[in-house]
Amino acid sequence: MKESLMDVLCCPMDKSELELEVDERADDEEVLAGTLVCSECGERYPIEDGIPNLLPPDMRDDVPA
Amino acid sequence: MKGQEWYQADDVAAEYDDKRFSRGGRLIDRREKEAVLDALGPLEDKRVLEVACGTGRFTVMLAERGADIVGMDISAAMLEEGRQKAQAAGVSDTLEFMRGDAARLPFPDDHFDSVVAMRFFHLADTPKSFLAELRRVSNDQVFFDTFNRFSTRSIYNWALPMGSRLYSRYEVDSLLEKSNLELVNAEHDFVFPYGFYRKIPDDVASAFRSLDTKLLSVPGFDRLASVSYWDTRV
Repeated sequence: MKESLMDVLCCPMDKSELELEVDERADDEEVLAGTLVCSECGERYPIEDGIPNLLPPDMRDDVPA
Repeated sequence: MKGQEWYQADDVAAEYDDKRFSRGGRLIDRREKEAVLDALGPLEDKRVLEVACGTGRFTVMLAERGADIVGMDISAAMLEEGRQKAQAAGVSDTLEFMRGDAARLPFPDDHFDSVVAMRFFHLADTPKSFLAELRRVSNDQVFFDTFNRFSTRSIYNWALPMGSRLYSRYEVDSLLEKSNLELVNAEHDFVFPYGFYRKIPDDVASAFRSLDTKLLSVPGFDRLASVSYWDTRV
């Protein structure tokens, strides 16, 4: 995920802003692992293998990776 | 016996490729891509969202033509395929894949110029709420396809293990009205449904496609089409 995507993304639940916590980068721009945290409801959305998972929490468990 | 297992595995793989890349399969793929490209028009710097993008068949094509695009799907495995396709095409800079739910999109209102949903609505359990959400994030266009009721596909559908949701024109009109979307163009195609084209031998696929196109040119016969492409505006 490119960090510039942060300008676009919002929380799927309440559409509030997200904050990025980076665990691993490929380069200055590309985030490979981390978390997106909703500034309003606090919900956490993981970034895995460079792909942000913005599925709402109720859908995360039923869906096979 | 090991050899036998190999043979069977090869057989499975070959059959998979046959279905996907048979002449009939390619005819469908070409028609769908044409429908998307025609509807979206010039793509340079256009902000596009594709929901249910799967392995990125359209996402990568649109990125190659200059769109600034997000491909969203529920499945990480499908997106991984898409990411490899995007890397091979050299379009990773203008394309982002993410997992998400089409009924609760992680984007602000009016963000995209075009929102595309191909092969999506036949799987949608609550089409009205999905369409309303697609509209919310678009400032101009929403483009999608449906499989039609009152077409050959209705008959064919009985034989399908996974029930597809079929739409009559009345249902689509009503959905658009409730979602406050204006229809600007509709195209109706494939008297013979997709499944038929995937099953027939390669050497007759083009002949059936040509017959199909002729049938649809007869006035009133477009009612027999199994697929419709809907181009709408907010």
